[in-house]
Amino acid sequence: MRRHLRHPSFSVGLFILVALSIVAVAAPLLAPYNPTHTDLMNTLAHPSASYLLGTDEYGRDILSRLIWGTRISLEVAFAVVALSLTLGSLIGGVAGYAGGWLERIIMVCNDILLAFPGFLLALALVAARGSSLENVILAVSIAYTPRVAAVMRSVVITIRPRPFIEASRAIGMSPARVLLRHVLPNALPPVIVVTTVSAATAILAEAGLSFLGLGVQPPTATWGNIISDGQGYITSNPLISLSAGLCIAVTVIALNLLGDGLRDTLDPQMRRYTGERML
Amino acid sequence: MNDAAEKSPAASTSILTVSDLCTVFPTEEGLVTTVDAVSFSLKAGETLAVVGESGSGKTMTFLSVLRLVPPPGRVMGGEVWFDGTNIAALPEQQMREIRGAGIAMVFQDPLTALNPVFTIGDQMIEVFRAHTTMNRRQARARAIEVLERVHIPSPVQRIDDYPHQLSGGMRQRVLIAMAIALRPKVLIADEPTTALDVTVQAQILELLAELRSELGMGMVLITHDLGLVAKYADRVAVMYAGRVVETSPIAQGFGQSRHPYTRSLFRSIPRLDVPADQALTAIEGQPPNLAKLPEGCAFEPRCFLGNGREDCRRERPLLAPTDTGLHLSACPHWPNLPESEADA
Repeated sequence: MRRHLRHPSFSVGLFILVALSIVAVAAPLLAPYNPTHTDLMNTLAHPSASYLLGTDEYGRDILSRLIWGTRISLEVAFAVVALSLTLGSLIGGVAGYAGGWLERIIMVCNDILLAFPGFLLALALVAARGSSLENVILAVSIAYTPRVAAVMRSVVITIRPRPFIEASRAIGMSPARVLLRHVLPNALPPVIVVTTVSAATAILAEAGLSFLGLGVQPPTATWGNIISDGQGYITSNPLISLSAGLCIAVTVIALNLLGDGLRDTLDPQMRRYTGERML
Repeated sequence: MNDAAEKSPAASTSILTVSDLCTVFPTEEGLVTTVDAVSFSLKAGETLAVVGESGSGKTMTFLSVLRLVPPPGRVMGGEVWFDGTNIAALPEQQMREIRGAGIAMVFQDPLTALNPVFTIGDQMIEVFRAHTTMNRRQARARAIEVLERVHIPSPVQRIDDYPHQLSGGMRQRVLIAMAIALRPKVLIADEPTTALDVTVQAQILELLAELRSELGMGMVLITHDLGLVAKYADRVAVMYAGRVVETSPIAQGFGQSRHPYTRSLFRSIPRLDVPADQALTAIEGQPPNLAKLPEGCAFEPRCFLGNGREDCRRERPLLAPTDTGLHLSACPHWPNLPESEADA
């Protein structure tokens, strides 16, 4: 862990994400107002002492909505990573380890899904299933699972011929156990890098869907909804959309920095920042 | 080797008998037979050395015995009798029970044969968990016992080490511990010392010999170090191009081999009594392309003895008894070989 922290982008990314997580968890304590509380006397207010970032067209406090929106965004990111990492690792792992016709069938299906732009696929799924937080998570997970599966498969193919796999079969382990105990743990580092980046795209996808009105439904505060609410007032009250956009940008950059840092520190050939040995 | 076993009084104790084992790999050049009608038998408490150059099918023969041939290769035929059962015909589920518990294997490179992300304890516990109903705690206690048995100092501490924290010799001891953990009846050691320092090599081989007599295992020592064969094996099988070309008991004098390929192998060993400035004798020509084996003897193009003989090129010679029934050779012209290695 010390090795990771010495890497500048990793530590910056981690710091931002930890801060955001604290904000998300402590949202009820930090937010000055209820995110759906409307102050009809103060609609579209400019920043003031009572409303630090101003209010939107219904008189809701932007800062409180941003703070509560952090929850949704991180929830989506974590859930999508958990779902697509589990599913993608299993699909890619089975395909890469089994080889032969099973691999071909799985990978053809995977490539077909991969050929669709991820966002478009998520859009179609949400349109078909209705818009709710669960459906957004499900749709984005399904859209990004093929990416994880493709990476997983290519990594597993490089692990499969390694002697300790043969050795574990020679001690009588079943193929499923070999896959779970030996192949997947060794394949995880590169896959984790991919998933940190796909966590960023998941946040973008959620914001995009919400912006289009297909994501989490108003009045729930999400960053995408806030941008969408502010788009009509982009010239008079640019802070509404801008602040939410900035939140998204910062989170996405933080996740990408984290991914970069992990890639550098987990890949032995790119380990410039450490003189230490692996593990 | 089958009739050798019949004549031997200890034939009934034969623990592993392989007959006509064939393994093929489909390639672009056609079917390649990497294990070609290989037969041998192994008695309990005996060490059989299998020698031959790289690619002669030594390792593939024993992967075929364990039915672990990597795809697209497959075992095409033959019988493998282990402990009274033909395991070549066993369902995969039962075969899995034999791997590790009945027949165990020690691999060549002890670093790559251990999973780098788990401690050696975790990996040893796997062996017990795969074959017994032990819980983790019991398995861990047994693992420590087995580590002690392969002379690993302070196993209680070592068991939580990762493979990279151990030296090459220690890692090989761990692999041997994993192999003998369930007291297998047959231990296959696939070039167990190739990746190790010369000083460590002897220790590992002594350990294997010690465990063999202690546990009464039959042991197969796959090697291309002829020096080891003379010291540690009871019998030797020489392989060339996927076939067994000669088998003989070591007591008969391995130096008096009855096959020109074995003779050539011996001549290519550097010797102390030959002046250092004299070039080493290499076997002429290239190892054969398994996809395009000659119709007759596979060694014929490189043979110093029968070169150009009609029958060598036309007919494939089979393993047959020589002057003693225990010494089999696939060269019908063996009587023409020089008397002893010194004359050759």
